[in-house]
Amino acid sequence: MISFEPSEDQQLILGTVADFTRASVAPRAREVEGARAVSDDVRRAVAEMGLGAAHVPEALGGQGLGLLTAALINEELGFGDAATCFGLPAFGSFSYAVLELASEEQARALLAPLCDPSRGDAFASVAWSERAVNRERAGFTTLATPVDGGFELTGRKCFVQNVELAERFVVFAQVEAERGWDGLGAFVVSKGDAGVSVGERHRTLGVDCGNFAELGLEKVRVASSERLMGGSDFTRATLRFFAKYSLIVAARQVGLGRAAFDVAREYCDIRKAFGKPIGHFQAVAFTLADRHMDVESAREMVRRAAWMWDAGKDDAACLLATAHAAAHAHEVAMRAADDAVQLHGGAGFMRDVIVEKMMRDAKQMSLVGMTPEQLDQLAARITTGQPLDAGAVLPTPETQAIFT
Amino acid sequence: MFELELNGQQRMLKDALADLGKNVVRPQSLSWDRKKDIDPEFLRTFYGMSQALKGDANPMEDFQEGPKHRDTSKPSQANRTAAIGAEELAWADASIMLSLPGAGLGGPPLRGSGTPEQRERFFGIFRDMTDELKWGAYGLTEPGAGSDVAAIRTSCRKDGDAYVLNGRKCYITNGARASWVVIFATVDASLGRAGHRAFVVERGTPGFSVGKIEEKMGLRANETAELVLEDCRVPVENLLGGEEKYTSKEGFMTAMKTFDNTRPLVAAMAIGIGRAAYEYAADFVKDNYVLSRPIPRYAAIAERLARVGRRLEAARMLTWKAVWMADHYLPNAKEASMSKALAGQAAIAACIDAIEICGAHGTLSEDHALLEKWFRDIKVYDIFEGTGQIQRIVISKRLISDLRGF
Repeated sequence: MISFEPSEDQQLILGTVADFTRASVAPRAREVEGARAVSDDVRRAVAEMGLGAAHVPEALGGQGLGLLTAALINEELGFGDAATCFGLPAFGSFSYAVLELASEEQARALLAPLCDPSRGDAFASVAWSERAVNRERAGFTTLATPVDGGFELTGRKCFVQNVELAERFVVFAQVEAERGWDGLGAFVVSKGDAGVSVGERHRTLGVDCGNFAELGLEKVRVASSERLMGGSDFTRATLRFFAKYSLIVAARQVGLGRAAFDVAREYCDIRKAFGKPIGHFQAVAFTLADRHMDVESAREMVRRAAWMWDAGKDDAACLLATAHAAAHAHEVAMRAADDAVQLHGGAGFMRDVIVEKMMRDAKQMSLVGMTPEQLDQLAARITTGQPLDAGAVLPTPETQAIFT
Repeated sequence: MFELELNGQQRMLKDALADLGKNVVRPQSLSWDRKKDIDPEFLRTFYGMSQALKGDANPMEDFQEGPKHRDTSKPSQANRTAAIGAEELAWADASIMLSLPGAGLGGPPLRGSGTPEQRERFFGIFRDMTDELKWGAYGLTEPGAGSDVAAIRTSCRKDGDAYVLNGRKCYITNGARASWVVIFATVDASLGRAGHRAFVVERGTPGFSVGKIEEKMGLRANETAELVLEDCRVPVENLLGGEEKYTSKEGFMTAMKTFDNTRPLVAAMAIGIGRAAYEYAADFVKDNYVLSRPIPRYAAIAERLARVGRRLEAARMLTWKAVWMADHYLPNAKEASMSKALAGQAAIAACIDAIEICGAHGTLSEDHALLEKWFRDIKVYDIFEGTGQIQRIVISKRLISDLRGF
């Protein structure tokens, strides 16, 4: 069967999310930007609806609705205000990392707060990037040194989401220095652990409510039981984590693209020049037509990739579909936002109109999770049948630094 | 539920066509292109196969069925299956789709607007093609009227029990070999669309002749002809739908209705050609470039390859969505145009980029002649059945308030 219609359950959820978005997300986009944070009542409402845990399997305390449902939810919220998604509890990359890397027992414990509808403050994050490239060898500078009963982590991570708010982090560090990017490990670190420090908050172009900051680690002791092994193939599990999270970010981009298109279209209806609405000029109308094709196609591609993961298709096929979808979504959302500003003319550059914020958010989002360039490299490697080596396919600082 | 799994029949069709394409069509594709004709034996065999694939269902059933017999509560599979077949067949050689025996583009207006007698009479000739292959065709474009369909000048004047047609039609697919052509003419050019009439003009009608056969950039194995009408008397019975049908803009709508169903199929064909070039380029990269060493230029090639792949996928999603809507009897004029506009663009880019990715090799007609052929074949996919610009007009009108034209 081929169908482009979400299931009845999904449509029900989407309806609820759309109502919520219209009432509480879209109208408050500038408020969130100004406060550099999502307000507490919105956080709590989202937690109560269980939106952040939709994709978490029921056995682990979530709703078991799959990645497609999560993508639909994120697209709809992104339509209201994509930036807000990054300031919501349980919406970060943490759950995607845990689902791929942790054992079932670890996952149940780590995800419990995120699945708790009474917790509007259950933030947790992933610490991946580092400021500088290690010039001595491949791999991270942050080290996980084996000590009695566990590891000792020392280093400095950056571009980490919600550092100030997060209770826990999945921290990637170098376990075996000589193995380069194949020698990484992932560890669960709690905010209260001795040696953990919150660095200075980054001021970012867009999505500033994502509260990105550095995370300092000074001889942080982590028990062996807190290491996430990633099943039989750690690199592949890490890649799957990045791919799935990138797909969710891409769903937000699709939402943003749709919103930018809608605002532009409305403006082209009402703004008059030379005696008629500007939408009645071909150069303007065709631009809208192109952006509409872009956004609609990206939307179905993202859904297709999410559906493939849910349907349990072959890993490589899912990764390829995801890389294609996410890279395309980043590209088209950026273009939609750019054109929305352009079609507004001077007004588009002013903060009175939302499109300038969309443009900044779109650019920022393409640097959260894997970048379009990294996704394209991944897709090409799969297409040409090359091995998916850690150094080549993971979004390491050696290529482009990313936000997580 | 959102789902993109092919059903058993569609998978079987796809696999069968892929197999045929690889083993039978591709080896002959270049010679057909040079000879400017598809081997008739192949067409005959292929036609027989496609009838067999339909199983026990009467192949004439589709034709006999008028537009009113649709049961909207039961979604069809026809458009979706056709799109899957079109992509696969075009992957092998795009000329086949255009040269297939049968009513061709003449089918939709006849099916949509023809009277039961006309449908029986003109579709009936395709019932038995064991001895002779037969084609239908669609004649709308004129030397002075392409995208601007309302501007056609071919005239028709009623004279007793016949209409007298005068004018020239050009770029008509299978125009010379067709047993009949749906010809659009006007009773009075000043009436615009309301003046349009559609006729089924049969080969051999006095005053109806073939002008030149066009030499084209690509799709050379497919015949494209000019048709000339000089005081050509067409019986009143051949006026599509009968006289009462033309009290309004109906004639024009007949012309346009053809395209809502065919545009996604053209899009699917474009994607098939684009995919052929994309896969070819990917294989070339695998075989010829040193992927194991970090050659800086390779990263650029890889990104380019990925971009081609994802843009084709984007076009495929719009195409599948448009056919899915058609199968559910949902109005899809906008989606049909979107699929074709995006597919044409993505597939042209794929063919251009594939050549560039292969470097100098890509342009050699000896070593990589297929790549060179696809580059020539694909361009027209952003032109026929409505240029990319026309598609954007169709889309714009459905996006912008009160926009009737530019």
